[in-house]
Amino acid sequence: MEATFLLTLLITFLASFIGYELISKIPQTLHTPLMSGSNAISGITLIAAILIYPEVRESQILQIIVLIAISFATLNIVGGFSVTGRILEMFKKND
Amino acid sequence: MIEIILLISAVLFIFALKLFGRPSTAHRANLFAMLAMALAVFSAFNFDFSKYDSAFYITIVISGLLGVLISKRVQMTQMPELVGLFNGFGGGASGAIAYVELSNSSLPFNDYFVAIFSMVIGMFTFSGSLIAVMKLRGKLNNFSSKFANIFSVFLPAIILIPAVLEIDNFVIEFIILVALTTGVIRVAVIGGADMPVVIAFLNSLSGIAAMSAGFIVNSIILIVAGALVGASGIILTLLMCAAMNRTLLDVLKGGFGNTTVNNEYVKDPISTSPEDVAIQLSYAESVIIVPGYGMAVAQAQAAVKELTNTLKDKNIEVKFAIHPVAGRMPGHMNVLLAEVDIDYEDMFTLEDINSDFSSTDVVLVLGANDVVNPMARTDEDSPIYGMPILDVDLARQVIVIKRSMSPGYAGIANPLFINDNAKMLFTDAKEGLENIIKSFELV
Repeated sequence: MEATFLLTLLITFLASFIGYELISKIPQTLHTPLMSGSNAISGITLIAAILIYPEVRESQILQIIVLIAISFATLNIVGGFSVTGRILEMFKKND
Repeated sequence: MIEIILLISAVLFIFALKLFGRPSTAHRANLFAMLAMALAVFSAFNFDFSKYDSAFYITIVISGLLGVLISKRVQMTQMPELVGLFNGFGGGASGAIAYVELSNSSLPFNDYFVAIFSMVIGMFTFSGSLIAVMKLRGKLNNFSSKFANIFSVFLPAIILIPAVLEIDNFVIEFIILVALTTGVIRVAVIGGADMPVVIAFLNSLSGIAAMSAGFIVNSIILIVAGALVGASGIILTLLMCAAMNRTLLDVLKGGFGNTTVNNEYVKDPISTSPEDVAIQLSYAESVIIVPGYGMAVAQAQAAVKELTNTLKDKNIEVKFAIHPVAGRMPGHMNVLLAEVDIDYEDMFTLEDINSDFSSTDVVLVLGANDVVNPMARTDEDSPIYGMPILDVDLARQVIVIKRSMSPGYAGIANPLFINDNAKMLFTDAKEGLENIIKSFELV
């Protein structure tokens, strides 16, 4: 997906705005799972690592750094969602 | 095709946040977010999986398994540390990617700033989060904040370096070093009870780092998801600050609680016994329990649940009053109570419950201190003046379970403890509750 810089800025603004509106409505009871869930989402930087990995084939050092980034981001995503699921399960059974 | 997958992914992320608004639908929100993430990651391969070698796939599989393993083993009381740790990983990943982009490709001039920004924020988040984890584990004491405040001025300045200097590897590595050091020093000066703000703030930064990485690699979904995380973290940060009547800058400055004012009690508190507490509770019609960090430290959740059951069996109304900054991360107390099956309908926020205290028979304060200090309402010279507190002193009887008279995080005396309607049970929260429950069987 390519876009001009201005359009990208507009999308950034809209996403922040939607995020702000929706998250403001989340009750205090769910703030910890919200945090661990949004934390997992921040691991989406894995995409950037996947995109640049084929580009760094010439340099072994850079390749290792990207692999470290991949490892960190994957841990962040998988661990984050898994623990969020565990927390939310505790709220579900109260229903 | 890829565009459509990405569109679905972005919509699912936003929809997931919407579902997060209610406890009954929140577990579905997590599934939606997972699906959105899977689609986004899948799309990054652009249907060409052969471009990647075995080292790549092995790294993903091992890290994924490790993530599952850690998340299954961690205890609910350790949740702040875990979120902090994962936060650091996310930030570190974005920072590393920005570094690789800076040293590998010939970026357009605009992207230099974005990449350096992403690298600085990512590295700061990484080292800051690791320090936060150590603080939460009690492995690190507070630094003096004066040196740190002078040093931190450098960080915004180095982001502007590419405007004046040719970028080479030495400059980039220097910037990384400054960012990492600033993260360490900045978080090291902030005290333990301010960790809810720090964790939320670092969470926001990890989103912003991801978002700016999205600008470098031209990925809209990365920008959208990063922005959502950034917004979520900022909201929680500001909520936590408002709940303490302090500004973010004031919290980040550190050194809170190094005060020497007004630490003397004019009289001795009234000490009580588990038997007396049990008798008092059994004559009550309404009870409000105020959990604090002391409950988490003592692992007293199960005892809280047992006492709640005992009281409810006697037709006594039991509610929980939870201050926004109780514990070490936003919503920490709620999760600990949910873990022992306490209904979230019984957990109330400060705004919802404060008018109930004056008509409540007994309030039980479990290891909370500053958030129930009436000086926040009355003493203009107090460092916590103006902070919204739970008005427990208005109840007919207050029982505080606490190990000693030692001051809380703000470092000030709490006149609640010597109020005429207050009694102290000097013990650990878990032991105290268990003894009260035992006494109940004899009443």
